[in-house]
Amino acid sequence: MNDDGLDPLIHVPTRLKIVATLAALPDGDTLSFTRLQDMLELTPGNLIIQLRKLEEAGYLGSEKIRNGSAQKTTVALTSNGRKALGAYTQALRGLLNGL
Amino acid sequence: MNTTPDTTTVGNGGDFDPQQAATLLGQTTQQARRKFQPSPPWLLVTRAVMVLAALGAIWLSVRGQHPYRGPTAADIPVLVAFIVVNFAATVAVRRHATAGLSGRSRFSQSEITVLVLAFAAAVVAMAGLRAAGVDFATYPTSVLVVPGLAWAVLMAARANWRGLATGLAIVVIGIVGAFAGPAGAWAVAAVGLCVMLLGSATAIAWQQRA
Repeated sequence: MNDDGLDPLIHVPTRLKIVATLAALPDGDTLSFTRLQDMLELTPGNLIIQLRKLEEAGYLGSEKIRNGSAQKTTVALTSNGRKALGAYTQALRGLLNGL
Repeated sequence: MNTTPDTTTVGNGGDFDPQQAATLLGQTTQQARRKFQPSPPWLLVTRAVMVLAALGAIWLSVRGQHPYRGPTAADIPVLVAFIVVNFAATVAVRRHATAGLSGRSRFSQSEITVLVLAFAAAVVAMAGLRAAGVDFATYPTSVLVVPGLAWAVLMAARANWRGLATGLAIVVIGIVGAFAGPAGAWAVAAVGLCVMLLGSATAIAWQQRA
Protein backbone atom coordinates (compact mmCIF):
# COMPACT_ATOMS: atom_id res chain seq x y z
CA MET A 1 0.00 0.00 0.00
CA ASN A 2 1.22 3.53 -0.79
CA ASP A 3 1.61 6.21 1.86
CA ASP A 4 -1.71 7.63 0.69
CA GLY A 5 -3.42 4.26 1.17
CA LEU A 6 -3.77 3.55 -2.56
CA ASP A 7 -3.02 0.02 -3.73
CA PRO A 8 0.05 0.42 -6.02
CA LEU A 9 -1.05 -2.54 -8.13
CA ILE A 10 -4.26 -0.75 -9.09
CA HIS A 11 -2.98 2.83 -8.96
CA VAL A 12 -1.54 2.66 -12.46
CA PRO A 13 -3.67 4.00 -15.34
CA THR A 14 -3.58 0.88 -17.49
CA ARG A 15 -4.28 -1.54 -14.64
CA LEU A 16 -6.96 0.74 -13.20
CA LYS A 17 -8.74 0.63 -16.57
CA ILE A 18 -8.44 -3.15 -16.71
CA VAL A 19 -9.81 -3.62 -13.21
CA ALA A 20 -12.61 -1.07 -13.67
CA THR A 21 -13.66 -2.68 -16.96
CA LEU A 22 -13.76 -6.19 -15.53
CA ALA A 23 -15.59 -4.93 -12.42
CA ALA A 24 -18.43 -3.73 -14.69
CA LEU A 25 -19.21 -7.38 -15.47
CA PRO A 26 -21.60 -9.32 -13.24
CA ASP A 27 -19.83 -11.49 -10.68
CA GLY A 28 -18.82 -14.80 -12.26
CA ASP A 29 -18.77 -13.54 -15.87
CA THR A 30 -15.60 -13.69 -17.91
CA LEU A 31 -14.33 -11.57 -20.80
CA SER A 32 -12.20 -12.67 -23.71
CA PHE A 33 -8.70 -11.28 -24.00
CA THR A 34 -9.43 -9.91 -27.49
CA ARG A 35 -12.57 -8.02 -26.41
CA LEU A 36 -10.73 -6.52 -23.44
CA GLN A 37 -7.88 -5.52 -25.74
CA ASP A 38 -10.33 -3.88 -28.17
CA MET A 39 -12.12 -2.02 -25.40
CA LEU A 40 -8.96 -0.64 -23.81
CA GLU A 41 -7.06 -0.13 -27.08
CA LEU A 42 -3.94 -1.77 -25.70
CA THR A 43 -1.28 -3.73 -27.52
CA PRO A 44 -1.38 -7.48 -26.78
CA GLY A 45 2.07 -7.33 -25.18
CA ASN A 46 1.17 -4.49 -22.85
CA LEU A 47 -2.10 -6.12 -21.88
CA ILE A 48 -0.42 -9.46 -21.14
CA ILE A 49 2.14 -7.78 -18.87
CA GLN A 50 -0.53 -5.93 -16.90
CA LEU A 51 -2.81 -8.97 -16.64
CA ARG A 52 0.08 -11.07 -15.39
CA LYS A 53 0.80 -8.59 -12.59
CA LEU A 54 -2.85 -8.56 -11.53
CA GLU A 55 -3.03 -12.35 -11.73
CA GLU A 56 0.09 -12.77 -9.62
CA ALA A 57 -1.53 -10.57 -6.97
CA GLY A 58 -4.64 -12.77 -7.01
CA TYR A 59 -6.84 -9.95 -8.33
CA LEU A 60 -7.60 -11.66 -11.60
CA GLY A 61 -8.13 -15.16 -12.90
CA SER A 62 -7.58 -16.34 -16.44
CA GLU A 63 -8.57 -19.45 -18.31
CA LYS A 64 -7.48 -20.83 -21.64
CA ILE A 65 -10.24 -22.54 -23.60
CA ARG A 66 -9.31 -24.69 -26.57
CA ASN A 67 -11.91 -24.81 -29.32
CA GLY A 68 -10.61 -27.03 -32.10
CA SER A 69 -7.38 -25.50 -33.33
CA ALA A 70 -8.17 -22.07 -31.86
CA GLN A 71 -7.42 -21.10 -28.29
CA LYS A 72 -9.32 -18.43 -26.43
CA THR A 73 -8.17 -16.77 -23.23
CA THR A 74 -10.77 -15.37 -20.87
CA VAL A 75 -10.19 -13.21 -17.82
CA ALA A 76 -12.27 -12.18 -14.82
CA LEU A 77 -11.78 -10.35 -11.56
CA THR A 78 -11.55 -12.59 -8.51
CA SER A 79 -13.41 -11.75 -5.31
CA ASN A 80 -10.07 -10.46 -3.99
CA GLY A 81 -9.81 -8.22 -7.04
CA ARG A 82 -13.28 -6.80 -6.43
CA LYS A 83 -12.47 -6.22 -2.76
CA ALA A 84 -9.20 -4.52 -3.71
CA LEU A 85 -11.00 -2.21 -6.15
CA GLY A 86 -13.59 -1.43 -3.46
CA ALA A 87 -10.84 -0.58 -0.98
CA TYR A 88 -9.03 1.49 -3.63
CA THR A 89 -12.23 3.41 -4.42
CA GLN A 90 -12.78 4.07 -0.71
CA ALA A 91 -9.21 5.29 -0.30
CA LEU A 92 -9.62 7.59 -3.32
CA ARG A 93 -12.83 9.03 -1.87
CA GLY A 94 -11.09 9.61 1.45
CA LEU A 95 -8.21 11.40 -0.23
CA LEU A 96 -10.44 13.57 -2.42
CA ASN A 97 -12.75 14.49 0.45
CA GLY A 98 -9.72 15.54 2.42
CA LEU A 99 -8.54 17.93 -0.29
CA MET B 1 -1.95 1.59 -29.72
CA ASN B 2 -1.94 2.34 -26.07
CA THR B 3 -2.10 6.04 -25.44
CA THR B 4 -2.42 5.68 -21.67
CA PRO B 5 0.82 6.34 -19.86
CA ASP B 6 1.92 3.31 -17.89
CA THR B 7 3.72 4.07 -14.68
CA THR B 8 4.36 0.43 -13.79
CA THR B 9 8.06 0.98 -13.38
CA VAL B 10 7.52 3.83 -10.96
CA GLY B 11 5.59 1.51 -8.69
CA ASN B 12 3.76 4.17 -6.72
CA GLY B 13 1.73 5.53 -9.62
CA GLY B 14 4.19 8.26 -10.48
CA ASP B 15 2.42 11.46 -11.50
CA PHE B 16 -0.94 9.75 -11.47
CA ASP B 17 -2.68 11.80 -8.79
CA PRO B 18 -5.89 10.79 -6.98
CA GLN B 19 -8.02 13.28 -8.93
CA GLN B 20 -6.85 11.82 -12.24
CA ALA B 21 -7.38 8.32 -10.90
CA ALA B 22 -10.95 9.13 -9.80
CA THR B 23 -11.74 10.64 -13.20
CA LEU B 24 -10.26 7.67 -15.07
CA LEU B 25 -12.07 5.19 -12.80
CA GLY B 26 -15.41 6.94 -13.34
CA GLN B 27 -14.98 7.24 -17.10
CA THR B 28 -13.80 3.66 -17.55
CA THR B 29 -16.62 2.25 -15.41
CA GLN B 30 -19.28 4.19 -17.33
CA GLN B 31 -17.81 3.26 -20.70
CA ALA B 32 -17.63 -0.42 -19.74
CA ARG B 33 -21.21 -0.42 -18.48
CA ARG B 34 -22.37 1.18 -21.72
CA LYS B 35 -20.45 -1.27 -23.89
CA PHE B 36 -21.65 -4.35 -21.97
CA GLN B 37 -25.29 -3.17 -21.93
CA PRO B 38 -27.35 -5.45 -24.22
CA SER B 39 -30.32 -3.04 -24.13
CA PRO B 40 -28.80 0.44 -24.40
CA PRO B 41 -31.10 3.39 -23.65
CA TRP B 42 -30.87 4.74 -27.22
CA LEU B 43 -32.19 1.44 -28.57
CA LEU B 44 -35.03 1.35 -26.05
CA VAL B 45 -36.03 4.95 -26.85
CA THR B 46 -35.95 4.14 -30.58
CA ARG B 47 -38.12 1.09 -29.97
CA ALA B 48 -40.49 3.19 -27.84
CA VAL B 49 -40.97 5.69 -30.67
CA MET B 50 -41.36 2.89 -33.22
CA VAL B 51 -43.92 0.98 -31.16
CA LEU B 52 -45.93 4.13 -30.55
CA ALA B 53 -45.88 4.99 -34.26
CA ALA B 54 -46.59 1.46 -35.58
CA LEU B 55 -49.28 0.39 -33.11
CA GLY B 56 -50.67 3.92 -32.83
CA ALA B 57 -51.14 4.00 -36.62
CA ILE B 58 -53.05 0.72 -36.46
CA TRP B 59 -55.21 2.04 -33.63
CA LEU B 60 -56.05 5.12 -35.71
CA SER B 61 -57.13 2.87 -38.60
CA VAL B 62 -59.27 0.49 -36.53
CA ARG B 63 -60.85 2.82 -33.95
CA GLY B 64 -63.67 3.82 -36.28
CA GLN B 65 -64.59 0.26 -37.28
CA HIS B 66 -68.12 -0.79 -36.34
CA PRO B 67 -68.14 -3.75 -36.19
CA TYR B 68 -64.43 -4.33 -35.54
CA ARG B 69 -62.71 -6.05 -38.48
CA GLY B 70 -59.08 -5.73 -37.43
CA PRO B 71 -56.06 -4.11 -39.06
CA THR B 72 -56.42 -3.33 -42.75
CA ALA B 73 -54.27 -4.89 -45.46
CA ALA B 74 -52.20 -1.69 -45.47
CA ASP B 75 -51.50 -2.01 -41.73
CA ILE B 76 -50.13 -5.56 -41.82
CA PRO B 77 -46.84 -4.70 -43.64
CA VAL B 78 -46.23 -1.91 -41.10
CA LEU B 79 -46.72 -4.35 -38.23
CA VAL B 80 -44.53 -7.03 -39.82
CA ALA B 81 -41.81 -4.47 -40.65
CA PHE B 82 -41.89 -3.22 -37.07
CA ILE B 83 -41.50 -6.73 -35.65
CA VAL B 84 -38.71 -7.69 -38.09
CA VAL B 85 -36.71 -4.46 -37.62
CA ASN B 86 -37.17 -4.57 -33.87
CA PHE B 87 -36.04 -8.19 -33.66
CA ALA B 88 -33.04 -7.67 -35.97
CA ALA B 89 -31.87 -4.54 -34.14
CA THR B 90 -32.23 -6.21 -30.75
CA VAL B 91 -30.27 -9.30 -31.82
CA ALA B 92 -27.52 -7.23 -33.50
CA VAL B 93 -27.03 -4.88 -30.54
CA ARG B 94 -27.15 -7.72 -28.00
CA ARG B 95 -24.64 -9.75 -30.01
CA HIS B 96 -22.27 -6.77 -30.19
CA ALA B 97 -22.58 -6.03 -26.45
CA THR B 98 -22.03 -9.61 -25.34
CA ALA B 99 -19.19 -10.41 -27.77
CA GLY B 100 -16.37 -12.08 -25.85
CA LEU B 101 -18.51 -12.43 -22.74
CA SER B 102 -19.38 -15.68 -21.09
CA GLY B 103 -21.41 -16.36 -18.01
CA ARG B 104 -24.73 -15.00 -16.86
CA SER B 105 -24.62 -11.96 -19.15
CA ARG B 106 -25.58 -14.26 -21.98
CA PHE B 107 -28.83 -16.16 -22.19
CA SER B 108 -28.38 -19.89 -21.73
CA GLN B 109 -29.86 -22.31 -24.26
CA SER B 110 -32.55 -23.34 -21.74
CA GLU B 111 -33.56 -19.69 -21.17
CA ILE B 112 -33.86 -19.10 -24.92
CA THR B 113 -35.96 -22.28 -25.18
CA VAL B 114 -38.27 -21.05 -22.41
CA LEU B 115 -38.82 -17.73 -24.22
CA VAL B 116 -39.49 -19.40 -27.58
CA LEU B 117 -41.91 -21.84 -25.92
CA ALA B 118 -43.64 -18.93 -24.16
CA PHE B 119 -44.36 -17.26 -27.51
CA ALA B 120 -45.57 -20.58 -28.95
CA ALA B 121 -47.75 -21.12 -25.86
CA ALA B 122 -49.22 -17.64 -26.25
CA VAL B 123 -50.24 -18.36 -29.83
CA VAL B 124 -51.72 -21.75 -28.87
CA ALA B 125 -53.58 -20.22 -25.90
CA MET B 126 -54.98 -17.42 -28.05
CA ALA B 127 -56.13 -19.89 -30.69
CA GLY B 128 -57.79 -22.02 -28.00
CA LEU B 129 -59.52 -19.02 -26.42
CA ARG B 130 -60.65 -17.81 -29.82
CA ALA B 131 -62.17 -21.21 -30.57
CA ALA B 132 -63.94 -21.00 -27.21
CA GLY B 133 -65.39 -17.65 -28.22
CA VAL B 134 -63.44 -15.51 -25.77
CA ASP B 135 -63.48 -11.88 -26.98
CA PHE B 136 -60.01 -10.79 -25.96
CA ALA B 137 -58.28 -13.85 -27.49
CA THR B 138 -57.36 -11.92 -30.63
CA TYR B 139 -56.50 -8.60 -28.97
CA PRO B 140 -52.92 -7.50 -29.70
CA THR B 141 -52.23 -7.19 -25.98
CA SER B 142 -53.24 -10.79 -25.21
CA VAL B 143 -50.15 -12.14 -26.93
CA LEU B 144 -48.02 -10.29 -24.37
CA VAL B 145 -49.21 -12.05 -21.21
CA VAL B 146 -47.47 -15.44 -21.43
CA PRO B 147 -44.12 -14.15 -22.79
CA GLY B 148 -44.23 -11.33 -20.22
CA LEU B 149 -44.72 -13.86 -17.43
CA ALA B 150 -41.92 -16.07 -18.79
CA TRP B 151 -39.60 -13.06 -18.95
CA ALA B 152 -40.53 -12.08 -15.38
CA VAL B 153 -39.80 -15.60 -14.11
CA LEU B 154 -36.43 -15.75 -15.91
CA MET B 155 -35.43 -12.35 -14.58
CA ALA B 156 -36.52 -13.27 -11.04
CA ALA B 157 -34.34 -16.39 -11.28
CA ARG B 158 -31.41 -14.14 -12.27
CA ALA B 159 -32.23 -11.70 -9.43
CA ASN B 160 -32.55 -9.04 -12.14
CA TRP B 161 -35.20 -6.84 -10.53
CA ARG B 162 -35.37 -4.30 -13.36
CA GLY B 163 -35.97 -7.15 -15.81
CA LEU B 164 -38.60 -8.59 -13.47
CA ALA B 165 -40.38 -5.21 -13.36
CA THR B 166 -40.29 -5.08 -17.18
CA GLY B 167 -41.84 -8.56 -17.43
CA LEU B 168 -44.58 -7.69 -14.94
CA ALA B 169 -45.27 -4.40 -16.76
CA ILE B 170 -45.76 -6.37 -20.00
CA VAL B 171 -48.20 -8.69 -18.20
CA VAL B 172 -50.12 -5.69 -16.83
CA ILE B 173 -50.34 -4.17 -20.35
CA GLY B 174 -51.72 -7.50 -21.58
CA ILE B 175 -54.34 -7.63 -18.82
CA VAL B 176 -55.38 -3.96 -19.17
CA GLY B 177 -55.70 -4.48 -22.93
CA ALA B 178 -58.20 -7.27 -22.35
CA PHE B 179 -60.60 -4.69 -20.87
CA ALA B 180 -60.05 -2.06 -23.57
CA GLY B 181 -61.96 -3.67 -26.41
CA PRO B 182 -60.50 -4.85 -29.72
CA ALA B 183 -59.66 -1.38 -31.04
CA GLY B 184 -58.70 0.10 -27.68
CA ALA B 185 -56.25 -2.77 -27.08
CA TRP B 186 -54.07 -1.35 -29.90
CA ALA B 187 -53.90 1.99 -28.08
CA VAL B 188 -53.13 0.23 -24.79
CA ALA B 189 -50.34 -1.75 -26.48
CA ALA B 190 -48.92 1.38 -28.17
CA VAL B 191 -48.94 3.59 -25.09
CA GLY B 192 -48.19 0.84 -22.56
CA LEU B 193 -45.20 -0.58 -24.41
CA CYS B 194 -43.91 2.91 -25.19
CA VAL B 195 -44.07 3.92 -21.52
CA MET B 196 -42.51 0.62 -20.42
CA LEU B 197 -39.61 1.03 -22.89
CA LEU B 198 -39.02 4.65 -21.88
CA GLY B 199 -39.09 3.61 -18.22
CA SER B 200 -36.49 0.89 -18.90
CA ALA B 201 -34.32 3.34 -20.84
CA THR B 202 -34.44 5.81 -17.95
CA ALA B 203 -33.62 3.12 -15.38
CA ILE B 204 -30.67 1.82 -17.42
CA ALA B 205 -29.32 5.33 -18.07
CA TRP B 206 -29.59 6.05 -14.34
CA GLN B 207 -27.82 2.79 -13.49
CA GLN B 208 -25.01 3.54 -15.94
CA ARG B 209 -24.34 6.91 -14.36
CA ALA B 210 -24.41 5.61 -10.76
